[in-house]
Amino acid sequence: MATLLEVKDLRTEFHTQDGVVHAVNGVSFAVDEGETLGLVGESGCGKSVSVLSVMRLIPIPPGKIAGGQVLFQGRDLLAVDDEEIRSVRGNKIAMVFQDPMTSLNPVLTIGTQISEALELHLGMTKEQARKRSVELLKMVGIPEAENRLDDYPHQFSGGMRQRVMIAMALSCSPQLLIADEPTTALDVTIQAQIVDIVKRLKRELGMAVIWITHDLGVIAGLADRINVMYAGFVIESASNKEIFANPVHPYTLGLLGSIPRLDEAHKAKLTPIEGLPPDLIEMPKGCPFYDRCRFRAERCASENPPLELAGVRHWVACWNWQDVQKKRGPVGVR
Amino acid sequence: MQLAGRIARNPPALLGALVILMVALMAIFAPALAPYAYDQQNLNAARQAPSPAHWLGTDDLGRDMLSRVIWGARSAVFVIVMVTIIDLALGLPLGAAAGYWGGWVDTLIMRVVDVLFAFPGLLFVFLVAATLKPGILNWAKAIGLNDLVRSGYLDYAVVIIALGGVGWGGLARMVRGQVLMLKEREFVIGARALGVPTWRVIARHILPNAITPIIVALSMGMGDIALSEGYLSFLGIGLQPPAPSWGNILADNAGRYWRTFPQMIWLVFIPGLVLAAVVFAFNFFGDGLNEALNPEIE
Repeated sequence: MATLLEVKDLRTEFHTQDGVVHAVNGVSFAVDEGETLGLVGESGCGKSVSVLSVMRLIPIPPGKIAGGQVLFQGRDLLAVDDEEIRSVRGNKIAMVFQDPMTSLNPVLTIGTQISEALELHLGMTKEQARKRSVELLKMVGIPEAENRLDDYPHQFSGGMRQRVMIAMALSCSPQLLIADEPTTALDVTIQAQIVDIVKRLKRELGMAVIWITHDLGVIAGLADRINVMYAGFVIESASNKEIFANPVHPYTLGLLGSIPRLDEAHKAKLTPIEGLPPDLIEMPKGCPFYDRCRFRAERCASENPPLELAGVRHWVACWNWQDVQKKRGPVGVR
Repeated sequence: MQLAGRIARNPPALLGALVILMVALMAIFAPALAPYAYDQQNLNAARQAPSPAHWLGTDDLGRDMLSRVIWGARSAVFVIVMVTIIDLALGLPLGAAAGYWGGWVDTLIMRVVDVLFAFPGLLFVFLVAATLKPGILNWAKAIGLNDLVRSGYLDYAVVIIALGGVGWGGLARMVRGQVLMLKEREFVIGARALGVPTWRVIARHILPNAITPIIVALSMGMGDIALSEGYLSFLGIGLQPPAPSWGNILADNAGRYWRTFPQMIWLVFIPGLVLAAVVFAFNFFGDGLNEALNPEIE
């Protein structure tokens, strides 16, 4: 399938009083039309900053997109003018945020908020936008949609608000939906519902999805491809199946070891990854995962490994990935 | 309504609201309410104590005090409304721009505000009013508006421009703070992610969320404006007699013959009390409004 979005060597920095925070350090990835890409990593690893950079929503200053290209349908979004990027936002690329409790404007009715993009991008009248808003709310499974249009966000539960957010994001039938930890703030049953809604709508509308999460469990049933990020780098990239069956980066391995599994004997212990990610102001010269790595070697301290091929469309940034593959023990198949 | 209920349950705020309502009605219906014209002199009835014909007595030119106080409300309310409009027109967009764009826009606007704040407030108003007035009068005469000069309406313009020009800084600073806080909120980033243009993000998504502190600040500010108008008129750079202003009524009566006729102290007290009541009313009401709109701060 054709490539929809291609991010090349993206670098984003924040210039703070304490120094320059290197939040994203040369990230490259691509999303095909209709594909679902999972971005996985712990807090502060640059997942959100990467996609906010794609949308040019980084606060500038202190933020700065220091380099790279974001090619969306062949156009470099980092080079277009403000007017043009606004016509892409919400129209071609839409976003759903983490916390549904704070992502809706508390003083506007949800009808007004859903209508906004419709009137803006599709030039609908208030009447048309209202009608379409009802359809959208029905699509995301909000009961009695007609009666809820004039309600304010505080009259909705967290899960319902996230549905509203999804309805807003989908209002202009975007080609790419960016979901920034959309289920993190919700309880588990609601999480599953939201995942199902996005899966269904993705199938119906044929849009591509970038799903950001720190929870590999959520992404397992959703993504075609998974990028694991660490300290502003993509450190492993492979198909969904491959990541779970054949992880070759020690960090990915660590992530997998720290999620509970239902199909294992209950004696199996969760193994946390010891230590903390590196200071993004004073980036280590070598591999950013060096301090926490069980497989580290001398070379890792001085040279940061580039991404190299470790299998079919499987890239990893580790000098010792072959060693990791040999020593890691059984990973188990989902 | 919830808000009205909360204010009604707060005695000082309710009192403040009633006084404000009364003053507003006095201002609107002054010609109907005042028993005499504010400048109607009657030397045969000068310096009278309160009586059924003159409820608040008369001054040394025989002008009816009640009528002058009622018309004074019209002056005060007119100045309050106009100055508040200027404060809003300058403070809201400038404060919002400073907060939203930051950088040199912020630096420029906020340094101007700092300059406004660096001077003792009223002194600066005096300076502006005193230097502005001859300029405006000369300009009006030069283009042949002698009638306008004589009418005294230009005095209102001087007062309004002086108070408005100095007073917007506080509002701008407050709005800037609110915008700084709100622009990082997720729903604002969300609106931008939907492709909403910047001016619309500010006008529809940011400012409506800052409406509570803005309303409270304006309400409190109105009391200050009434007081400042009183000061200016008292000191003779504001509204000039015979135009009725609580400040110049006070000055007239205090200066001219309070010492000679100490028994006529009410002529000084009445405009002073009215002015004080209005200032208190706005402050009480503003406080009540603040509590009613932010129930959690109690």
